[in-house]
Amino acid sequence: MIEVNNLHKSFIDKKDKKNTVKALDGLSFTAKDGEITGILGPNGAGKTTCLRTLYGLLSADEGFATIDGISVTEDPLAARSKLGIFPDKFGLYERLTAYEQIDYFASLHGMTGKAKKEAIDQVIQDLELGDLAHRKTVGFSQGQRMKVTLAQSLVHQPQNFVLDEPTRGLDVMSTRILRNHLAKFKAKGHCILFSSHVMQEVAALCDRVIIVANGKLAAQGTPQELCDLAGETHLEEAFVKLIGSDEGVAA
Amino acid sequence: MNADFNQLKALVLKEYREAFRDKRALMVALMMAFMAPIMIMVMSKIMIEKLIDEPPVYVKFTGAEYAPKLVQHLADNNLLDFTDVPEEDRATWDKRNIAIEIPEDYVENMAQGKPIKLHLQADFTDKAVKPPVRRINSAVREFSLSIGYKRLLLRGVDIRLLNPVKLVEQDTAKPDATFMLISMLLGVYLMLAAFMSGLSVAIDSSAGERERNVLEMLLCQPVSTLKIVLAKLISASTIGFIGVVLVLVLTSLSVGFVDLTKIGATFSLDMSTAIFLMLLLLPICLLASACQLFVAFQTKSFKEAQSTVGMLIGIPAFIPFVVSMMDDRPEWLDWLPISGQSMIIESVFKGVEVNWLAVGATSSVTIALTVALVLGLAKKLKSEKVIMALS
Repeated sequence: MIEVNNLHKSFIDKKDKKNTVKALDGLSFTAKDGEITGILGPNGAGKTTCLRTLYGLLSADEGFATIDGISVTEDPLAARSKLGIFPDKFGLYERLTAYEQIDYFASLHGMTGKAKKEAIDQVIQDLELGDLAHRKTVGFSQGQRMKVTLAQSLVHQPQNFVLDEPTRGLDVMSTRILRNHLAKFKAKGHCILFSSHVMQEVAALCDRVIIVANGKLAAQGTPQELCDLAGETHLEEAFVKLIGSDEGVAA
Repeated sequence: MNADFNQLKALVLKEYREAFRDKRALMVALMMAFMAPIMIMVMSKIMIEKLIDEPPVYVKFTGAEYAPKLVQHLADNNLLDFTDVPEEDRATWDKRNIAIEIPEDYVENMAQGKPIKLHLQADFTDKAVKPPVRRINSAVREFSLSIGYKRLLLRGVDIRLLNPVKLVEQDTAKPDATFMLISMLLGVYLMLAAFMSGLSVAIDSSAGERERNVLEMLLCQPVSTLKIVLAKLISASTIGFIGVVLVLVLTSLSVGFVDLTKIGATFSLDMSTAIFLMLLLLPICLLASACQLFVAFQTKSFKEAQSTVGMLIGIPAFIPFVVSMMDDRPEWLDWLPISGQSMIIESVFKGVEVNWLAVGATSSVTIALTVALVLGLAKKLKSEKVIMALS
């Protein structure tokens, strides 16, 4: 379970105080176990800042974030070990093979020996990476890179899984594999937090949607509830309406 | 504890894999090590040639036709006629203007056993003229003596009677200086190898990883930043250390090809000296990598890291030179990193008793500085400034 409570975060420009950016302005939400929670928001709404705070990379000015009840500021290492992360910007170690790369992240999460090997083989099989596993990742296509990154964030079977726009660049088949995978995780009772700009995907996949605008929670609910709230039939229309109006804040 | 070790092992293994698979960077890194012995060999070869060889000297003869045997003897000693001078050297020798005048009555006086006066003209204050003049002097004396000996021999006199005392000269000054230069060069090279070899790996694993967007992912993992820094330090300094070992091995091999005994010098790098030097330079490798990582992580881009860290290399090259030039060395120099080690290396090569207190002191200071840099960097990697620089 991921809980974010009243997060405030400002980036202060030391030279020019007027230039201060308020990235988070009291954001709160909860992503429950056994659910896929979608996080929507226009560019610059504070999504990445929120997620970075969640990873323990940034510390909030006010408020707190917990993962399975562990505060990310007090014990970042313990909190991170409960977390699988698919970052916004990702790169690969191009001189390592896909297998070595997944192995590296598995080892960082404290896996060893037979258990580690089984977990790696499992994730390679699940993501259909078998053909690529022993090739160096230099020259991989965008979709192949995505899959390797997914594999390395999933290999330790994290209870909580945060994905920052995971489907960009993926072809239809890979997107389906990812969706199935997320659905399986959900069924096993994992907590999935998912940020995306693709409305159909969010509508199809997410149990709950959180809309963030200007560092604040603009609205939350099931996709259907959000449509009802905005009085629209499509989530996209509802989204545009909700981030543009103050009425959403009350919900 | 075991889990910590496994994590560190995985981190180090990954750094090693990346470092050793980057063949081009590795080649550049170790280029230094390969260049050093070659340069030392070539330099000492040139120096030996200068000391041993007698370059041709061109003399303006007048009356050479009167004494063909003398001219032949001089030619055997590489003292040649000015008419044979190669075009490119003509101006030089014309300017030096060394002239020998052989008198008309040479043959007559020779036959009668009368003394003959040869005239040697040159600007004796000119430095470049001095060695040729010395050589002409000894060649003429040799020629003169050989004729004198023959005359005595014909009269049944043992020529050894003429030389009751013989002085055997052994020049020790110049070979020693040459040898000093070789060892000083080697000392500087060892420092440079320690500093330079790990450089590309250090930059690649810090600024390079940030630029390739893999650092953020790593910082999001349940690993302490101290372990991350340690792994990168271990990997970069290993390459540096390999550089040092290569310089030592290749130098001791290549010096075997240069016949230093020709100039009366010996240079041997025995096993115990080599191992001592390696142990002495190990802390330097660690310090160098720590400095490079520390600087590279603070820079904004890979390119900036390269140029800024490149400047760091000037330090190790500069310090040993300055130290070796200094006459009065303050005692605190013994304690400092780099200067301390370079003085110890100097005394090792000179064969002077090594000051073990200084070895301990400079090594401890170097290691302490490394630890401080590592801890500082581990703390810095947690700071928001570094995180914000990621995007």
